[in-house]
Parts: sequence; structure tokens; C-alpha cells
Amino acid sequence: MRFLMNTGRTIKQGITVECKGSPGYGSETSRCFMHPLDMMEMGVCDGECVRVESTEGAIVLAAAAAESVTPGTIFVPYGPYANHIIPGATRSTGMPDFKSTPVTVEATTDRRKTVYELMEEMGGVAYHC
Amino acid sequence: MVTVEDGRIVAADNACTLGEQKFLGEPRLKGPIQREGKGWKDITYDEAILRTVEMLRDAERPLLFGWSGTHVEAQCIGVHMAEVLRGVIDNTSSVCHGPSILAIQEVGHPGCTLGQVKNRADLVVYWGCNPIEAHPRHLSRYTRYAEGFFLPNDYLDRTVIVADIRKTETGNIADEFVQVTPGGDYAVLSALRAIVRGKRDIIPRSVAGVPREQLFRIADRCLNAKFIAFYFGLGLTMSRGKYKNVRNAIELVSELNRHTKATISAMRGHYNVYGSNEVNTWMTGYPFGIDFARGIAFYNPGETTAIDVLARRECDACLVVASDPAAHFPRACVEHLADIPTVVIDPYPNATTAFADIQIPVAVTGIDAAGTAYRMDGVPIRMRRVLKTDYPSDEEILGRMYAMLQEDHPP
Repeated sequence: MRFLMNTGRTIKQGITVECKGSPGYGSETSRCFMHPLDMMEMGVCDGECVRVESTEGAIVLAAAAAESVTPGTIFVPYGPYANHIIPGATRSTGMPDFKSTPVTVEATTDRRKTVYELMEEMGGVAYHC
Repeated sequence: MVTVEDGRIVAADNACTLGEQKFLGEPRLKGPIQREGKGWKDITYDEAILRTVEMLRDAERPLLFGWSGTHVEAQCIGVHMAEVLRGVIDNTSSVCHGPSILAIQEVGHPGCTLGQVKNRADLVVYWGCNPIEAHPRHLSRYTRYAEGFFLPNDYLDRTVIVADIRKTETGNIADEFVQVTPGGDYAVLSALRAIVRGKRDIIPRSVAGVPREQLFRIADRCLNAKFIAFYFGLGLTMSRGKYKNVRNAIELVSELNRHTKATISAMRGHYNVYGSNEVNTWMTGYPFGIDFARGIAFYNPGETTAIDVLARRECDACLVVASDPAAHFPRACVEHLADIPTVVIDPYPNATTAFADIQIPVAVTGIDAAGTAYRMDGVPIRMRRVLKTDYPSDEEILGRMYAMLQEDHPP
């Protein structure tokens, strides 16, 4: 199904933002908030994984039911997961389209990656305290 | 009030949820680290500084990015370094309220301090922002739940309107919630401007999902208010229209000032991002995205901003100070960071650490370093330190780097 991806802050993301390697940060920023009716139509339950794909690539997130999210849109907290599929173009403003990326979402049996797995996929080397 | 035991903060009273975590922030790097193959090794501060300077000296187009999490004194040195290096310096506002600044450059900023809002604002509008989650004390200290000099009955004296594309926690405590269709902010703001101008007859039945009757009601609430405080967030700067959305909001506030008093301000995020804009503007004339390649300050957002410089794979070295672009930039930018020499100056290991050749831990301003930071309304505040540690401040580290770079370019 096609959706418009919106990203933004959540209190849990803010609390864990100084500790990017923590399970709390990874878990919060890899959630995909969706309207329950959209989830019902896709046959996805709360906590199950979904594959979110844009023109830039795909990422696996955990679906989370939220009636506050408008049907036809998804909300993903700011972080490396959402940014993995947001285009780098800024339309001559310096600002990417963080709140309006067209995506397709489908159920998947793949698992979510950790933050450091994502970083290593892009050529980084994880540092563990 | 903080409680310190064995040189560590173990409790922070009266801080908000976000602030408490910043005071308790763990784990911090114990000393500088350098990437070695697929692992890391400890190095000294002297080695880390020397290698960073060598990296910057060897670069043809270095990018100096971040700056929002540190104090003004360090930000000043950063601008001097960018000038000496003929590099690009940018701060996190380019992915935050940079578009707001572009709008302000076009039409001005009818703003005010938070104290004015607390004491006078009987109508507060939050547009495209969610302060309950992003600025947890904004409502209790300055708006919804704050007692003001002219508004002694806090909750009863104030009206709060929230406009957003989803009904957030802030939307739940509003007197009126305005649900806007994604990408429809510009149209709704234009409709409100038309109504305030007396053009009610041209408004269609619904504008971007907002019924005409609700638009009339909001406009009437504004026109009948004594003092309006309009706050906007990244819902305007990051969505379709970007700085034009903010420009429209400012122009709505200008229209309202023909009838009553109205002010507008951005809900700034990263704690001293405002200071970074101020420092850059004093020193170069421009608030962010400054390119010194020509030997003079050049500013062209969309060309000289960090996202664009990285996505075009243009810079050949990157110094990241007090921020985490690997977590907050699109993948195309992060992949380029992996291909170029990168040094991170930050107290904590973060996502960008994975792309760093070297990371240098420093003291945290307001915790174990003193310095000046700007509040979201542009008021500079001297931050005291509450803890003494052996970590050097950003100012000390950058000052040593700048002194070494100056040897290459004696005045």
C-alpha cells in the first residue's frame, strides 16, 4: 500500500537520543506508527514488522497502531531508520523532505536491524562502550 | 538541583524528562579514540588534535558541521577555522529551522521573548509542532499552564489552538485542534490571511481538510484576542513549501497586527542552535551554510548547506562538532561520510562515531563546562558548570586546533 511518510519527535526518542547504541533508541526510532484501519487492511498487527520502501531503498520497521495518524500516512520518529530511505535532495533550500516522502509499506517476516547494523551497512564501524 | 556522588551526577531535580536524561547522560567516552581497521584504539588528546589538524590541512574542501550542542565561544573559533581553511561551515539549523530563517530574511520576524508570552498572551497558536514531546516545559512555563502578570488564572485565561497533520498529545490539550491535510499548511494560512483581510466570501467550503466554519472561528478568535503568540515547528519547515509556509505564517501575523498584537516565533530545538545562527551572523553576515572557498563568506542555501555538500560528494573531509549527522541525515549524505576522513568532537559515542576516524570527547556545556548559550527566543544565558571533570571544553580543543592552523597562515 502507498503512504506518505512523516517523521518527527517523540518523547522516548528525545530521552534516548544521547545514547544511540541503546536498545531504547533503536526500538523507538524503528517504529512505524499507522492508523489501525490501514493496519487492518494490510493484515498487520501491532508490533509486527513491515517493509517500508521509497525511491532511496527499503527499511524494516515495527508497526505501531496510532489513531492520531491520518489514514494514508505513516509516522516514524526522527532517527537513522527513517533517514535511511529519505532522499538527499533539498529543492534548493538545504532541507530534505523529512515530512513528505512517498513510500510503499508491506508486511514482512524480515527482522529490524540495530542502529549499528545500519551504520555498518553504510560503511561504518560500530563502537561499543 | 543536581546530586553529585563520586564525581558523577546521580540525580537532577526539577529538570524536564529530556533535561534529566542530559544531566544523567551516560556513557561518555573516557578519552579520544581512533579507528584502526575494523576496531578502535585509544589515543591521547595531543595525538587526536594533531591528526585532526593534519586532516584539515590536507583537505581541499573541508566541511565543518554541527555546532548546535556547544557554547558560543567554541562556535566563534569554528568560524575562524572555516575561514582559515577556506571550507564550508554549517550548523544543524539547515535541517531544522533553516527555512524559517530564509522566510525571516524575506519578510522579517515580529517576535518577542518568552516572558512577554507568559505575561500577556491570551491566545497561543502551535502550528506544526508538538511541544509536549519536544519542549516539555513550554506549556507549563510560558503558555497553557503558566500564570502571567496579566493572566492570573493561567488555564482559564488562555486559549490554545493547535494545527497539525496528526492529533498529537499537544492537540489533545488544545481548545481547538485544526487537522490539516499533509502539505496543506500554505493553503490554510493563505485562507486565514484572506479572512483577516475581510475576504470571507472567497473562502471555499473546505481548505486542505479544514472546514470553512472552523477557519472563520479561528480567525475570529485571533481578531478578538488581546495578544497572540504564534509558535511554529518543523511541520512547516520540513513539509512541502518549506520556507514559503513560514513566510505565509509570518505574513498572517503581520495582518493580525493591523487589528491586535501578535508575535511569531520558531520552536527551536537543539539547545544552542540559536547561538550558532547568531555567531555566524555576527562574524560572516550569514546564519548557516557559509562557504569560504572564495576567500570571502558566500551563502546559498541548497548549495552551501551540509546536506547538499555531502549528497553531491563534494567535501573531502568533515569535522563534526556537537551533533550527529549519521543519525539525522539522509543515507546519501552518510555514505559519503564513510568515504572521507571524519573527526567527531562530542562527549558521547553516537551514530556518527561509526564513520569517524577520530572522536575527541569533551566537557558538556552547562554540566562540566561553562559557556554562553542562546534560549529559543534569542536571550543569551551564561551556563555555569555544576561538576568539575578532567574533560577539556570544546573551546579548548578547537582553540588548540585553530592555533596550529594559524601557523600555516600567519596574519
